[in-house]
Amino acid sequence: MAREAFEKLIHKGLVWRGRGVAQEAHRVEPSGWRALDECMGGGWPRAALVELLSPGHQGLPLLLPLLARLSEQPRWLVWVAPPHLPFAPGLSASGIDLQKILLIRKVGQEQRLWAAEQALRSASCGALLLWPGRLQTAQVRRLQLAAEQGDCLGILFRSVREAALSSPAALRMKVSPSPLGLDVAVLKRRAGWAGQNCSVRLP
Amino acid sequence: MLWLALYFPDLPLQLFTRGRPEEWPLAVSHRYQGREVIARCNRMAATCGVHPGLPLQAALALSGDLKIRARDRRAEKQLLQELAQWAYQFSPQISFEPSLLLLEIGASLKLFGGRQALLQKVQDDLPGLGLCSQWASAPTPMAAALLARTRPGGHVPREQLLAALAEVPVRRLTRDSQLRGLISDIGLQDIGECLRLPRPELSRRAGPVLGLLFDRLLGEAPDPREVWQPPEHFQQYLELPAEISEHAALVFPARRLVTALCGFLRGHGMAAQRLQWCLLHREQAPTCFDQGLVTPSRDASHILEMFRERIERVPLPAATLGLRLRVDDAQAFEEASASLLEDAGVVQDHHLLERLRNRLGDQQVQGLCLAPDYRPERAWCFCTPGASGEGVDGRAQQPPWLLSEPRPLRVVRQSPEYDGPLQVRSLPQRVESGWWDGCDIARDYFVALSRAGERLWVFRERRSGRWFLHGLFS
Repeated sequence: MAREAFEKLIHKGLVWRGRGVAQEAHRVEPSGWRALDECMGGGWPRAALVELLSPGHQGLPLLLPLLARLSEQPRWLVWVAPPHLPFAPGLSASGIDLQKILLIRKVGQEQRLWAAEQALRSASCGALLLWPGRLQTAQVRRLQLAAEQGDCLGILFRSVREAALSSPAALRMKVSPSPLGLDVAVLKRRAGWAGQNCSVRLP
Repeated sequence: MLWLALYFPDLPLQLFTRGRPEEWPLAVSHRYQGREVIARCNRMAATCGVHPGLPLQAALALSGDLKIRARDRRAEKQLLQELAQWAYQFSPQISFEPSLLLLEIGASLKLFGGRQALLQKVQDDLPGLGLCSQWASAPTPMAAALLARTRPGGHVPREQLLAALAEVPVRRLTRDSQLRGLISDIGLQDIGECLRLPRPELSRRAGPVLGLLFDRLLGEAPDPREVWQPPEHFQQYLELPAEISEHAALVFPARRLVTALCGFLRGHGMAAQRLQWCLLHREQAPTCFDQGLVTPSRDASHILEMFRERIERVPLPAATLGLRLRVDDAQAFEEASASLLEDAGVVQDHHLLERLRNRLGDQQVQGLCLAPDYRPERAWCFCTPGASGEGVDGRAQQPPWLLSEPRPLRVVRQSPEYDGPLQVRSLPQRVESGWWDGCDIARDYFVALSRAGERLWVFRERRSGRWFLHGLFS
């Protein structure tokens, strides 16, 4: 009886299991920033959700080297509801192949989440960048599952005000601008300790 | 020669019901010997005691809510034609009998990898059309048709033909009532009995026609059939047994049409990229819309999934009575070939793009590409995802974000401010261009740092000296 109930919990993904996590820890994508890699335990997690919490949608420069590398694969880089126009010459100069960019422009909150889930789940998408607006934990969990299923890295740009909310994302980082570049603080890390800080120098 | 007969025993009934999954007591009536009698009825009507041959009045007395549709032989013929369009993928030689399709599959066996494989394909695809069917295959068309009607579900090779047909009643051989009468007058029961009789005696009694029928049945005389010619374009209409007012419920009847379409396309070696749908309403103009596909396809489940997304965005002014599907510009199908070296240039899988566009609209789903211009506003454009454009080389540092409109900055003591004074960090990048198209600009771009540590892309208009914020680095 107890076992049955326990299995139900496992099935729902409510039980944290140490064994699987140790293996997952090796599945990372180097970020291209040495300080950041050390902070995140090797790099961006693969097939998982990452939250970047910032006062004003900062943090895109951290992703540019990764996006450039992912754009060498025949998979989409999906941007859902970005707050400004992604500037093609700037992105191209960072080495991103613009042909892989799939841009979803201004759509409602519900459509954004739908599109993001489709993209994550589709397996034809290398990375998903989502500016979601306000999110509930259940919605984040749904996206996290979709990311695992579709082997896709999902990046959520959330407001720093939402840092206190619990989230099932594999990695949560606070990003704030500094005179040198961007300051990063790890709030949560799967298979590792939180609390690392680093500073990424931007040119 | 190998003939496959597909018999649709409930065609007169399912003509009306295949568009809706729900069931209610339904019967089809026709005139028989001067009386209106039940021709076919569905399972729910049968449980009330209705059966074929029952006079209409008696059937109505048995079941109060029994729905009656008059048998529509013209529509049945039309439906059979549409089935032939679907079946054209299996054989180029198709002929008809009432409620029955005859396909010469001997020539297609190699293509499909044998009889078993072909039959499997036929049976996998048939349920999508929404008709009950039974099949038989035999070396002669007549035997195949007869077996499909009486002893369905198997292949009968030439040497077993006699044994398989022996117990089939002789009167099933012909629809000619005079000959049928004669057969019963002689007291002949089944085919085996007849074939045991000496042929000259039989011909003397029953005339030459019966002998000829037997010869055709066993393949000893030629049995020429009119071969059906497929139409050039696909267009089919499906009437619904009851009105549909929800979007989701339209997927079910759409499946019938899409299955038929994909069979048609396979038969012609084609694929469709634009499907033209029309929904017919009672007293209003039909709702017509196009369903576009990113790449030409003939995969029924994929097309249907896209339809499911598409239909939700179509406003329905009234309940739908029928669906029409047309494809005008089918194109030659190119089998996707797995390339030896993975091509990293373009994303091959278009399903995601298709799904997003279907639901959100083409305008909301875009790609980015470079444009050959030095002015930041014109150095890029939206394009179809996956397309590429040529830009210009030799630029200084450019930000990943651009504001849709340059934002004027306050100037205090000749230096720009954005949340406090800005610290200019780079040498100017001068952009002076566009005198020829009326969007003349003369700007000096700088990277600047705000007090909060944000990296900004700002410019000074050289003519007016005003400062603007135009891009963001972080």
